[in-house]
Amino acid sequence: MTTRATRGTRRRTVVALAVILAVLSAFVFRLIDIQVVHADDNVAASLSKLGGSSPVPGARGDIVDEDGTVLASDAFVYDAQLDPKLIADYEKQTDPKKKPKMPWSEASEKIAAIVGMTGDDVRKLVSDALAKNPNSQYAKLKNGLSTEKYLALRDLGLAYIANKARAIRVYPNGAVAGNIVGFLNGEGKAQYGIERMDQQCLAATNGSISYKRGQGGVRIPGSERIVGAVDGGTVKLTIDSDLNWYLQQMIAEQAQRLGAKAATATVVEVKTGKIRAAAEYPSVDPNNVNTVAPEYWRSHIFSDAYEPGSTFKAITAATVIDQGKATPLSTMTVRSREKFPNGTVINDAFPHPVYNYTLAGALIDSSNVGLSKFGTTVDQTTRADYLKRFGVSQKTAIGFPAEQSGTLPRGRDGKVLDPAKWDGATKYTTTFGQAFTVTPAQIAGAYQAIANDGKKIDLSLVESCTDADGTVHKATAPQSEQIIKPETAAAVRQMLENVAVQGGNAKTTKVDGYRIGLKTGTAEKSNGQGGYKKGVFFTSMVGIAPIEDPQYVVVVTLDEPTKMRSSAANAAAFQQAMTQVLKTYHVPPSSEPMGPLLPKFN
Amino acid sequence: MSLLNVRVQPRTETRPAPARRLRAVTAPAGLRRPKLAYAALAVGGALAIGAAQMIVSLASTQDAFALAKLNNQQHELSLQKQALGDELVALNSPQALATRADAMGLVVAGAASYLRLSDGAVLGAGDAASWVSTVTPNGPTKVGNALLAPPPAASTETPADGAGAEGSTADGVPADGAPAADSTAQDAATQSDLPPAITDGLPSPTTR
Repeated sequence: MTTRATRGTRRRTVVALAVILAVLSAFVFRLIDIQVVHADDNVAASLSKLGGSSPVPGARGDIVDEDGTVLASDAFVYDAQLDPKLIADYEKQTDPKKKPKMPWSEASEKIAAIVGMTGDDVRKLVSDALAKNPNSQYAKLKNGLSTEKYLALRDLGLAYIANKARAIRVYPNGAVAGNIVGFLNGEGKAQYGIERMDQQCLAATNGSISYKRGQGGVRIPGSERIVGAVDGGTVKLTIDSDLNWYLQQMIAEQAQRLGAKAATATVVEVKTGKIRAAAEYPSVDPNNVNTVAPEYWRSHIFSDAYEPGSTFKAITAATVIDQGKATPLSTMTVRSREKFPNGTVINDAFPHPVYNYTLAGALIDSSNVGLSKFGTTVDQTTRADYLKRFGVSQKTAIGFPAEQSGTLPRGRDGKVLDPAKWDGATKYTTTFGQAFTVTPAQIAGAYQAIANDGKKIDLSLVESCTDADGTVHKATAPQSEQIIKPETAAAVRQMLENVAVQGGNAKTTKVDGYRIGLKTGTAEKSNGQGGYKKGVFFTSMVGIAPIEDPQYVVVVTLDEPTKMRSSAANAAAFQQAMTQVLKTYHVPPSSEPMGPLLPKFN
Repeated sequence: MSLLNVRVQPRTETRPAPARRLRAVTAPAGLRRPKLAYAALAVGGALAIGAAQMIVSLASTQDAFALAKLNNQQHELSLQKQALGDELVALNSPQALATRADAMGLVVAGAASYLRLSDGAVLGAGDAASWVSTVTPNGPTKVGNALLAPPPAASTETPADGAGAEGSTADGVPADGAPAADSTAQDAATQSDLPPAITDGLPSPTTR
């Protein structure tokens, strides 16, 4: 039944369908173009007009001590500001319904009482701002208000006060271990110490909050998308802040008593190499670094390399014994002033007749000549190798900011000499701690090895980093190395105990109930022109206790003591430091008596 | 007269004149009256859905309000916690504690003594702690703490908050009447009288 009419209908249908399809496909194409191909661009473009976002700052992590005492933490302070125009408008307002309940005269008094100003001051702030610009909407009231004051201001319910929160770094214990903890600059950037060293752990990852805005910029409820900030991790130190406080207080008193420029006390746990206290005077208070001169902003324990002097005679003794060239009882004929084959003249600190010193005796009397003679029984390259093994010229494993490595003897050109070419005085002075430099931390490390049966464990200052989610990342395990034979270490310890008992500081350094070993050092200070400063010294005292089962190494240094210039100046400080350390860690008193005294002469 | 009919017609027949069949249009059957029940069901259902939706949305809005209120409360409390924390900060620093303790007459003693439980031997220093502190936290030299800037006036605050506690903690110890050397003996005497309780805890030496 194909009629003209039906054929016409079909054609119309086909044409209509085709048109519809064409239009439809055009729409589909456009739809895909918008929704799929350019979706991201369009969303972004729309959000830029509709939405807004603001960063959500995360809190920087805490620094805590060995038992969790907070040494550094983030806190908020508030910057309060006033809107002078609004205040003026309110004053002019005549409609009692729109006028705030509290008149400005009363409100200004209340504000003043909270922020610690007078009412007149506050009113003057506002009138000054209005005088300058009648439309002024900003007048700084006070910056750095505490949360308590912020809450009090807020509770006044005044529309013209705005408070902006600001994160600041707070160091609750102030200068306790301040040089170790370090500090930030005004912009919150880490400058020094653990703050800088463990920046990666402490730094927070900022989050963001994004939202859509309706008419008039009002946030559309429910449109917020919050990407949470991740707070920084907590760095746990090996330091004990109470012990550190005691040592800081004590050496500060001692330094002042002795007229010293500066002083340090370092405590290292023998079995682990952990630094338990790093006390300094003057010490920086990270809350306000300007309380001390900039040169004391850094830790002198890590950044002050000096010629150690006699404390390194023990290292020479260890070298000689380890090489089998001497025992504590081997002897040398020693004059108090001796001219050596290469023409170098070495003096002892005190005049004495010709002695037949034992190695122990040379250490007890701290004889430069004696140690020169014993030391040079070992060749120079080997001696340099031993110095390196004990940590000379290598930074500690801690990697403290601006840490010094110290250096082996250098030539006139400033380059480190080949040990085989040590000549002249260097050949001999290296046996008693001159011509090379170390930091107090390195001295502590060297004595740790002697105390720990010759096994040197890398020093450490950081226990762990705990992420915001509670994951604990232990610090990398310290490396350890057997640098001298255990028998050598035992022999050196026996001699150090004899130094403590027979030496000149025996009475002043005695720690009741404990057997200790120690060595003093009086180092000359370089005057920066190849010579030494006259009459001023860097004195130090290093000790190990209890000597029969070593637990702690204590290093006490004084920079240029003036009332007492020898290393005896350190005795009182050392004795108090060691006493406090043994008490803090409940170290059992020595129960076995000391063996027979080693003879000084033969 | 659908197209379908046209298709099934055989084409062989040569144009038979379509018979025009005319007939009277039948009157449309009268619409049946719709059943009221269905209508009621549909409308009721729609209303029920609407009501349910409203209740759910009301409930969720209510929760949103409760949530907002709790959020506010939490914020408020954390602000208060922060304010209280601000007051405490630095007060528990070793400097502040030592200053107060020193003002109350406590000393940092020298070496410690230990009592060995197995045989009752006294190890270590073995003598009484001296009245002299090894450090003087209230002396001219202090470990700095800017947070303590107005130093806690230990002398003024101690009686205020220590008065109540003093009776219970410091009985027997002279309040602060210059604990000089002569009071040591008296103090030692009271001390030796004090500890019968401790002897109970000591294992008695076994004799065979």
